[in-house]
Amino acid sequence: MIIKTTELKRSFEVGSETVEAIKGINLEVKAGEFLAITGPSGSGKTTLMNIIGCLDTPTSGEYFLNNKLVNELNENELAGIRNKEIGFVFQSFHLLAKNSALDNVLLPMKYAGTNIDEATIRAKHVLDQVGLTDRMNHGPTELSGGQQQRVAIARAMVNKPSILFADEPTGNLDSKTEGEVMGLFKELNEDGQTIIVITHEENIANQSKRIINIKDGLIESDTNI
Amino acid sequence: MLFKESLISAISSIRSNSIRSFLTSLAIIIGTAAVIAVIGIGSSAEKALEASIDDLGGRTLYVAPGQNRRGAVTKGLIPLDIKDAEALAKYKEHDWEISPTITRNRQVKFGNANINQRIGAYLPIHFGVRGYELESGRLFDEDDNLGRKRVVVLGSKIPSELKTMAGNLLNKEILIAGTSYKVIGILKEEGSTGWQNPDEELYIPLLTGSQRVFGTPNVDSINVGISNDQNVDEIMMSIEQILRAKHDIGPGQDNDFRISDYSQFADLRRQATGIFTLLIAAIAGISLVVGGIGVMNIMLVSVTERTREIGLRKALGATHSAIMLQFVVEAILLCIIGGLIGLLIGTGILWICATLFDWPFALPIGAMIGSITFSAMVGLFFGIWPAKKAAKLDPATSLRYE
Repeated sequence: MIIKTTELKRSFEVGSETVEAIKGINLEVKAGEFLAITGPSGSGKTTLMNIIGCLDTPTSGEYFLNNKLVNELNENELAGIRNKEIGFVFQSFHLLAKNSALDNVLLPMKYAGTNIDEATIRAKHVLDQVGLTDRMNHGPTELSGGQQQRVAIARAMVNKPSILFADEPTGNLDSKTEGEVMGLFKELNEDGQTIIVITHEENIANQSKRIINIKDGLIESDTNI
Repeated sequence: MLFKESLISAISSIRSNSIRSFLTSLAIIIGTAAVIAVIGIGSSAEKALEASIDDLGGRTLYVAPGQNRRGAVTKGLIPLDIKDAEALAKYKEHDWEISPTITRNRQVKFGNANINQRIGAYLPIHFGVRGYELESGRLFDEDDNLGRKRVVVLGSKIPSELKTMAGNLLNKEILIAGTSYKVIGILKEEGSTGWQNPDEELYIPLLTGSQRVFGTPNVDSINVGISNDQNVDEIMMSIEQILRAKHDIGPGQDNDFRISDYSQFADLRRQATGIFTLLIAAIAGISLVVGGIGVMNIMLVSVTERTREIGLRKALGATHSAIMLQFVVEAILLCIIGGLIGLLIGTGILWICATLFDWPFALPIGAMIGSITFSAMVGLFFGIWPAKKAAKLDPATSLRYE
């Protein structure tokens, strides 16, 4: 089991009120799954992703990542987990604008302390996997939206994470490049990569193998396709 | 690798906001430039002073007219005259060189050139005491002096002041205060001593000067040259006894002349320069601190602007200290770059001053290292708070920051 949560809750203080974003989520994800988390805005799917992506910690409940209890780890241990176990792909790509594609892909390995020669070989390899060998010295402004997202996927994959998180990965793309990116996810999944896609688009969710629908902070449905 | 990444990120951030970075580090630039220029000028001036003291060859005591006070009434300066100098010269107990001087500015004409220049009347030994050397011709001697001959030796820059060449002046007549004098010699270039420039002076025999040009037996000062192994206090006592007797000063009355040691001047001047340098350096230090506040301000802006970037870096695994390092390095780099620019400007100012005043140009290496280190410390000190702020940002919220 890669992910196991029990009664996961997260509340926020908004002014004098306490808002419960997720209200007790029990979720299990096995290695090699291709999962889509769907739900309308405000359903709590982003909060859930933040917690299982170790960007945030739950107010209560337990979260095991690779059988390790994560919610009691400190800031730096969480940073280490984000670095090694989790790869993020965001809607707006989040590439460093002044760095080349290669430098963007190198960044997680710099935080991991990987030796620069080895890091460069690995970065070039993943860029080759996403089909950007000839574009790796270009900056984000010289790349199309689809290419930028592929750089982001290469960056997410370079430290060989346990889970690849994609938060509305096709939200800023046209339908053709959307197909390319989803195709890439399928390929990665076929190679054994665990992928969790957060989306509100039904056709994206339908390309995964399991759909979890969140509503009002709780799992409403859990469907295997 | 992380440090290198921080450095690269800092350079790229500073470059992409180059005008903002420049304005931010302006106070650092000005502060460093001021420190380098002031300390450099101070030490160059001191070196010039030391060189001029060395030029005097051994030690020179300086006897000058003093105040004549009777009770509370000051009766002006009692002059020293040639006879006082002669009295000292006659005293053979000590091995000293007595060199009285009279210097005044007078009109000097040659052809169409007409300049107002310093004329110095000296004994022939003056050239030896100062170590001045001839370029061409000869120096005046005791016969010239006793004969009140109308002869003149020129400093090396005088020919060009008179808009001609040295060769055209030797053995020619020039007019000093309307009377013609024969140019018998031209000196080699001596260089400024920081007090006066011997290259821009005309030298005539003492008695010639006293009787023909200035019309006074009074001298400005009497230099007493002694070798370094002589006892200064003893010499001073002898000078005092001779002059008191000559001036008829009774017991209990004050001297009407002053005896000073050049090295005392030097000490005083060194002290004054030191205090002045310290003062300016302190003001420049304040400027550096003010600059640091500017850097902190702009770093806070930078942290806010780059909230999303910080969120992303954290999502990719940047630890608290990695983010801290990135922003501290940027603040330090900003200050060091400012410091280096200031260093160049300060060195430029120093070079201009040294050239202008003919001082030896010496780089104040200590001040240079010191001010760059201080700039870096300022960057570190004022960069820590913004960097902490950046490191504390919550990754989940920063990623969504608009």
